[in-house]
Amino acid sequence: MKRYFQIILGFAFAMLVPRLSLAVPAAAGPATKPSAEGIEYFEKNIRPVLVERCYRCHSKDAEKVKGGLLVDTREGLLKGGENGVVIVPGNPDKSRLITAIRYHDEEIRMPPKEPLAEQQIAHFEEWVRMGAPDPRTAAMVAKPAPPPYDYAKAREFWAFQPVRDAQVPVVSDQHWAINDLDRFILAKLEAKGLKPVGSADRVVLIRRATFDLTGLPPTPEEVEAFLTDTSPTAWEKVVDRLLASPHYGEQWGRHWLDLARYADTSGCNSDYPVPSAYKYRNYVIKSFNADKPYDEFLKEQIAGDLLPRPEKTEDKWDGIIATGYLAEARRFGSRAAEFHLTIEDTIDNVGKTMLGLSVSCARCHDHKFDPIPTSDYYALYGIFKSTKYAFPGTEIYKHTKDFVPLVDGEEAESLRKYEKELTEIDDQMERLVQERTPLLVREKQRELKEVCAVFPVARHQRVSHKDDPGLPEPGQRSLLQVKADMAELRERQLRLEFKPMTVEKAYAAQEGAPGDAKIQRKGDPQNQAETVRRGFLTILGGQKLAQDCKGSGRLELANWIADPKNPLTARVMANRIWQYHFGRGIVQTPNDFGSRGKAPTHPELLDWLASRLVEGGWSIKSMHKLIMMSRTYQLACDDEPTNSAVDYDNDYLWRFNRRRLSAEEIRDAMLFMSAELDESPSGPHPFPPETEWKYTQHKPFVANYDSHRRGIYLMQQRIKKQPFLEVFDGADTNATTAVRAMSTTPIQALFVMNDPFAHEMAEKFAIRVGLAVVEEDKRIEYAYRLAYGRMPTSEERQMGHEYLKECKEKMKEAGLPWDQQTKAALASYSRMILGSNEFFFLE
Amino acid sequence: MGVERNQFSRRQMIRSLAAGSILMPGILQQLLADESRGDVNPLAPRAPHYAPRAKRVIFMYMSGGVSHMDSFDPKPKLFADAGSSRIKSPNGRPYLRPLWEFKPGGTCGTEVSDLFPNVRQCVDDICLIRSMKGDHNDHFQATLGIHTGSVTFARPSIGSWVSYGLGTVNQNLPSFVVLAPQLPYAGSQVWSADFLPGCHQGTRVLAGAEPIPDLNRRSPSQAVQEMELGLLDRFNHMHQRKHPADPVLSARIKSFETAFGMQQAMPEVLDLTHESDATLDLYGLERGSSKGFGWQCLVARRLVERGVRFVELIDTGSNNNWDSHSDMKQHGPLAKNVDMAIAGLLRDLKSRGMLEDTLVVWTTEFGRTPFTDGPNGRSHHNSVFSSWLAGGGVKGGIVHGKSDEYGGRVIENEVHVHDFHATILHLLGFDHERLTFRHAGRDFRLTDVSGNVVKAILA
Repeated sequence: MKRYFQIILGFAFAMLVPRLSLAVPAAAGPATKPSAEGIEYFEKNIRPVLVERCYRCHSKDAEKVKGGLLVDTREGLLKGGENGVVIVPGNPDKSRLITAIRYHDEEIRMPPKEPLAEQQIAHFEEWVRMGAPDPRTAAMVAKPAPPPYDYAKAREFWAFQPVRDAQVPVVSDQHWAINDLDRFILAKLEAKGLKPVGSADRVVLIRRATFDLTGLPPTPEEVEAFLTDTSPTAWEKVVDRLLASPHYGEQWGRHWLDLARYADTSGCNSDYPVPSAYKYRNYVIKSFNADKPYDEFLKEQIAGDLLPRPEKTEDKWDGIIATGYLAEARRFGSRAAEFHLTIEDTIDNVGKTMLGLSVSCARCHDHKFDPIPTSDYYALYGIFKSTKYAFPGTEIYKHTKDFVPLVDGEEAESLRKYEKELTEIDDQMERLVQERTPLLVREKQRELKEVCAVFPVARHQRVSHKDDPGLPEPGQRSLLQVKADMAELRERQLRLEFKPMTVEKAYAAQEGAPGDAKIQRKGDPQNQAETVRRGFLTILGGQKLAQDCKGSGRLELANWIADPKNPLTARVMANRIWQYHFGRGIVQTPNDFGSRGKAPTHPELLDWLASRLVEGGWSIKSMHKLIMMSRTYQLACDDEPTNSAVDYDNDYLWRFNRRRLSAEEIRDAMLFMSAELDESPSGPHPFPPETEWKYTQHKPFVANYDSHRRGIYLMQQRIKKQPFLEVFDGADTNATTAVRAMSTTPIQALFVMNDPFAHEMAEKFAIRVGLAVVEEDKRIEYAYRLAYGRMPTSEERQMGHEYLKECKEKMKEAGLPWDQQTKAALASYSRMILGSNEFFFLE
Repeated sequence: MGVERNQFSRRQMIRSLAAGSILMPGILQQLLADESRGDVNPLAPRAPHYAPRAKRVIFMYMSGGVSHMDSFDPKPKLFADAGSSRIKSPNGRPYLRPLWEFKPGGTCGTEVSDLFPNVRQCVDDICLIRSMKGDHNDHFQATLGIHTGSVTFARPSIGSWVSYGLGTVNQNLPSFVVLAPQLPYAGSQVWSADFLPGCHQGTRVLAGAEPIPDLNRRSPSQAVQEMELGLLDRFNHMHQRKHPADPVLSARIKSFETAFGMQQAMPEVLDLTHESDATLDLYGLERGSSKGFGWQCLVARRLVERGVRFVELIDTGSNNNWDSHSDMKQHGPLAKNVDMAIAGLLRDLKSRGMLEDTLVVWTTEFGRTPFTDGPNGRSHHNSVFSSWLAGGGVKGGIVHGKSDEYGGRVIENEVHVHDFHATILHLLGFDHERLTFRHAGRDFRLTDVSGNVVKAILA
């Protein structure tokens, strides 16, 4: 802003002074003002190039100013560097800056790595010819930029307002509401003239609740028990039973893993496996099952290693494992050079998942819509830069590093030593490869030269000794020497690889070298500006690390995020819990509570829920209970045209939202139906041993490990999606997934029609049904009870009999032996039951 | 054309189900109802922002980084100076002489090397760009860059954007098909729909027994499968009676018809028995063979002929590709695999009058250095490389942009990958700044925040 203001001033000023002819060189004196055209030319053609290509070494923010030359002010540019003047206004041929960028002179070539484009060079020549007009003054550069946002005004935005424990509204209908939550909903319905539909029947309810809390369908026995329970607490008993199920953590843990973009591989171009990532996955499941207070859950994931160790032996390492959340940040490219992107992924995820804010937009520029300046981004950046992330290996550095041992004392030390030694070998090897490349080229040329020596005609000139590419330059080692070193290193490496470490370790984070970060202009790590103190977002309090803080700042950050006074944390989580129950949040953009997100449909209810969450000691299970006991949760899915006409999308919840089962739910339910589900929790995946990893971007790690365990335990990669999850809109393993997409595609239909898994499950289901009862009518009935939780109607029974009869006939025609026809017909019938909309959708 | 034929067969399928009394009365009309209802079907054909010059795209991507100065960008000075011990490149490495001589082709005389003798004969239809520039010098990132516009984060592929923007004409085939015998760098992210709806994802079709996963009927006979679909339809319609207004339920009912259609249509596309010997010769394809780029190109023609919107062809995968670090001779067999097939495709499309509204794109993730890397090879080079366009709305027989005398950098009319994408979308009738999708609080587009249409190459 300020800069543009100055430019406008410059324009205005130029109007007042006599215009300079473009051909006349402008004197360098401060009294002379450049012309408007000159400034425009400078701004358009010169300044951007200076900023992008020269400032890194020639500005006051340069880490080390090269040659004493500063080109970020007019004064600096005109003064020149250690070797004198670089610009002679009006005379490009006498300006050393022009000589340098022309790249003709071997002695001075700038920028050193890559020349400017022809056109840019021409612009500079023209600009010097014009007299090098330049509106910049030293004072202007030195002044700090004014705060870009009006925070007082920004705080008026609803999401940044403190959570207010709203008053429960008064409603006209005194009978409808079961709890206060309902009163919030009803008040809105009444205000909009909407009338809620009736309650869902018990079969629908128990199916809804069971999938909702466990990701599995209810068994016929569970349905039966609920249907026959006439006590007033029948429903509550169902909810309590489901909340206590170990499958609860698998379902709700999956929601969290969606947000945390969990994967079992690193995401670098070779997609290195991370065999210990599953520990974080299991920690999440366990935390949900234990109803770990949400604030504690967050704090552990940011800084669990810095919190006091849990007392129970089996939880001893949970704090460390929890920081797997940070280690899960995506890895990029082959080298550590792109680590700023891993930090960006961390900030992006912390921002969206925990705070519902797109903080990472501020990486390259101040956030355009929300009050998040770039300086806030780099205040957070410093914290993660001061953190050491476990390194899973990449194409060039194939060995793991900085994994956190889950043992104490000597054993832990041995792991560190082992990793360190392998890392050093990787580093040395890489240096030797670099050293070898020119030597190989030289070798090749020497061979060529020998050919030339045999046919001297091909030689046009004598080659001096210095020119002879066959001999190493002074101080340079020979190819043989380098090769020998490599062989020796390789042997040391093999020796280590031969004795792999068996120490338990975690893909986790730990304290690194603490230090503040510099702002990176346009998100370019090479283009650094001022240092910012590590701290929190200004709009959320702007706390900074104490001057005597010795750590990374993660512990402080964890406390700032989980602070009940933080207006976002409780709201964002209350909204998510609501969203997973109702299919849609009160804020329908659950990862974006900023001004580009959607405003809450029930702002008072959201605050009321957030208050209950904090008040209940951040218990998530209490929130489920509160929601599920409401009338609102128990509504039917029925359509009601008069309501649809006003509120087609059901924003005000006059009915329950129908939803398709998620990928994992479809798979797990099919396994469950056919009694094939392995309900035990899962440990590590069968990855190849670490010492055998040779993955490169040319031959990346790609695998698929099938099992009959719950879908949450499937191995998930970043470079390639798990095939089943891909077809049914599984979570994105590369970025936080707040809402699962729900697509309908012919590929999904082909799955039901032709996939071996669908056929296998249907066959097992048919066997289960066939073995349980013999009479065909009972078989039809049992299939309906298992799959839909209800009895078939007489029309449906009739339909089933006809189908089985006719299908058996067709099976015979198709050449199936007589003893398989009945089973095949029942399997065919079963697959259509499992593939039907009634099975795929939840009411 | 194929489109009508396939729709007819689908209708026939529905009628035959009805005749066999498997379908309930009354459903027939509903099934035959207009397929173009956009609210139910995100793949229904849609009009772009303005009248398009091209209606479909065949996107050929050569994996590994094709050397421009050995193929489409002649550098006499590089021929002359390479091998001189005095002249060195700016980074000190010796220049490497290109292995293939350049000759003019067609009447326009655009020079192409002996690496692509057949494509050289087609230069009058080709708009060659010698000033391409990308953002990254590593395969993984640059491959994502040329496909999605982003070298860092996972984003939708260009084919997914086109599918999202235009929908597709033939509902029995996917809108975006990928013919890639091996996985490229970055795997299936290359054709991923990412945050766009899943139906816009590229469907990988392979030669062989099962071209798409689950495409082959597993039920023991056609009769059994038809019965099954009839039963499913009854289940779903009985269920829907209670919820008549839910478009998602009807969409899923419809998806089974489409799947059934695809099960018939895809093998028909891949069945080359009715192609004449002359046509097979054009592509350099032996009868009965499904190997090599000739097969990919011929199948691509058959796919676009039947209304598929975007066909991507990847010649190799993430290894044994154009990444000739140690020896440029490796380019030889790779070019031989694609050269005749590409020329055959261009000629075939032209003779069928399809080149006019089909855009053919040839590209790679980056070029290679003028100087050596390994003894006789070249390294990655994203500062400049060559690509070309042909057909739908581009000027044939021209060269756009220039690299310097050694092929080291762009000196005229730089075409950044974003510009390249903007131009392709423009030819399809889109303003690239307006083809957006709201995701995570912001409107995303293929060209991120840049991209200029290269007007000079528009016909």
